[in-house]
Amino acid sequence: MARLKSTTWQRYKYLISALVLLLTPWYYYQSLHPVFPDALAAQKIEGFEVTAMPYDTKPPYQHDGHLVKDFLLMFSQGDVSTIRQAYLNIGQDALLLDQLQLGELAILHGSPYGQTAHALVSGPLQVSDKIWLTVELWNGQTLTTHWLLPDDWIPA
Amino acid sequence: MKKLNNRFWFQLHGWISLPIWVVFCFVCLSGTVAVISHELTWLSNPQSRASNNDNVAPRSAAQVIDIVQQAYPTADISGIMINEPYLVNTVMFSDKDKPYALAYVNQYSGDIQEVNDGNTFINFMRSLHGWLLFPWQNSYSIGYYIVGFMSLVLLGALSTGLIVYKHFWRGFFNVKLRVNQGKRTLFADLHRLFGVWSLWFMLVMSLTGLWYLVQAVLFQADIEVDPYPAPLAAEQVPYSPNGKPEKAVSLAQALSLTKQQFSDFQLSYIMLPEHNRDTYKFSGGGDFIFFDSYSYNLAVNPWNASIKQQFSPASMSAMQTIMHLADPLHYGTIGGLTTKVIWFLFGLILSGMSITGFCMWWQRLVKAKSRVTQVRFSQTQESH
Repeated sequence: MARLKSTTWQRYKYLISALVLLLTPWYYYQSLHPVFPDALAAQKIEGFEVTAMPYDTKPPYQHDGHLVKDFLLMFSQGDVSTIRQAYLNIGQDALLLDQLQLGELAILHGSPYGQTAHALVSGPLQVSDKIWLTVELWNGQTLTTHWLLPDDWIPA
Repeated sequence: MKKLNNRFWFQLHGWISLPIWVVFCFVCLSGTVAVISHELTWLSNPQSRASNNDNVAPRSAAQVIDIVQQAYPTADISGIMINEPYLVNTVMFSDKDKPYALAYVNQYSGDIQEVNDGNTFINFMRSLHGWLLFPWQNSYSIGYYIVGFMSLVLLGALSTGLIVYKHFWRGFFNVKLRVNQGKRTLFADLHRLFGVWSLWFMLVMSLTGLWYLVQAVLFQADIEVDPYPAPLAAEQVPYSPNGKPEKAVSLAQALSLTKQQFSDFQLSYIMLPEHNRDTYKFSGGGDFIFFDSYSYNLAVNPWNASIKQQFSPASMSAMQTIMHLADPLHYGTIGGLTTKVIWFLFGLILSGMSITGFCMWWQRLVKAKSRVTQVRFSQTQESH
């Protein structure tokens, strides 16, 4: 068997993998102190006031064969229980309810204190795109509002 | 040729294991603690204990949820987890001042014994062992891959170790532990002794770990092994001119329906509908001891009590079967506390193997250093 030489490299080379574990406390700290992007301006829609906050500043990602981006929607006015179903999509126009309700991805879900949605994205983000919220009430009335895309979301 | 082969396998054994032995050891130790994390919680947190001084029957999950709802009228309850009988039921909810909270409810007394923010020791240990607390990027975590990769390391170390250790089966009963012949010999004897006795454990850990690695790839590729219940068609949700209609099916009724479907059903988890097109989702275990406590599943339409989706070990595909067999084998929950203790002890042994393996190498290095020092000393002596 080849003889070992007790060099500095030999002494420490098998301890290098421990450096990976230094990331663990860092990531733990980050998970305890999450930082989210700024929320978009509140929008009024009938009796509701809604604020949308993206979960991150990353571009949309593929999920279940669709391009999506995740949001948290907070209703500061209005009762969420009066909504039969609501959806979020990003594109030039709001998708039709008939189209949205074919799937589940874009549906608002969660609690009255925070609704999550994986907004369906029509394609690469464009300046003319908007974030569309479509709400259907229990009586069948449909409401729509939108937010403009922040400038820094559009790839240069 | 034979000697060369042995040398090759021995070196390969080292090359596979030594470069990542620290991470491997950490994964083993964290997994060892995670196996008994429920029991450690029971020991360290009196509020997590489900004492049953009056020897009464446990309340149903629906009753436990009602208790929390009455205590926190504005709470939005998302689900309940039923743990071992000596641990409280855990109700998940959010409220005005609580983005996410867990209520520990004693299922026997009906007392809410604790409300916390979800950062529990059990969750921490599972996350630490499962993905080293690395963040999840939508559907993958580098930490999950690192931990999954350890299964290949273990499989490689196991197979090369068996080739190097000739007639290893003799080591089961012919225990050789030489404590007076230097550290290097002691570490080598310990390494072989640990190795031969934990062969079965290493095989179980590496194969189940390999499954987790496959699962990581499936997660990232958006391939669902257990299909998530599809949402209800929008037409199935009734319209109502006077606001939200009452759900036609209560949680208790849906739970009763689940028990009718699976005669041996032991509830472990309920997820309440998250939106109006969502279903009640029930998961539980049954009489098949090798299957996990999520192997029986039923999704019930809350508007008309129809079953939206169901599956159990009897109807599982091969992939689903592997998935639901992996956890009990990996965490040693198949035989309750007894097997957990066995898994814990062998987890310590496996962690010890990575340490003794490194110590063996370190002793070779120490020997090399002393050899160099000796040579330099003799050269100095000769020059004088």
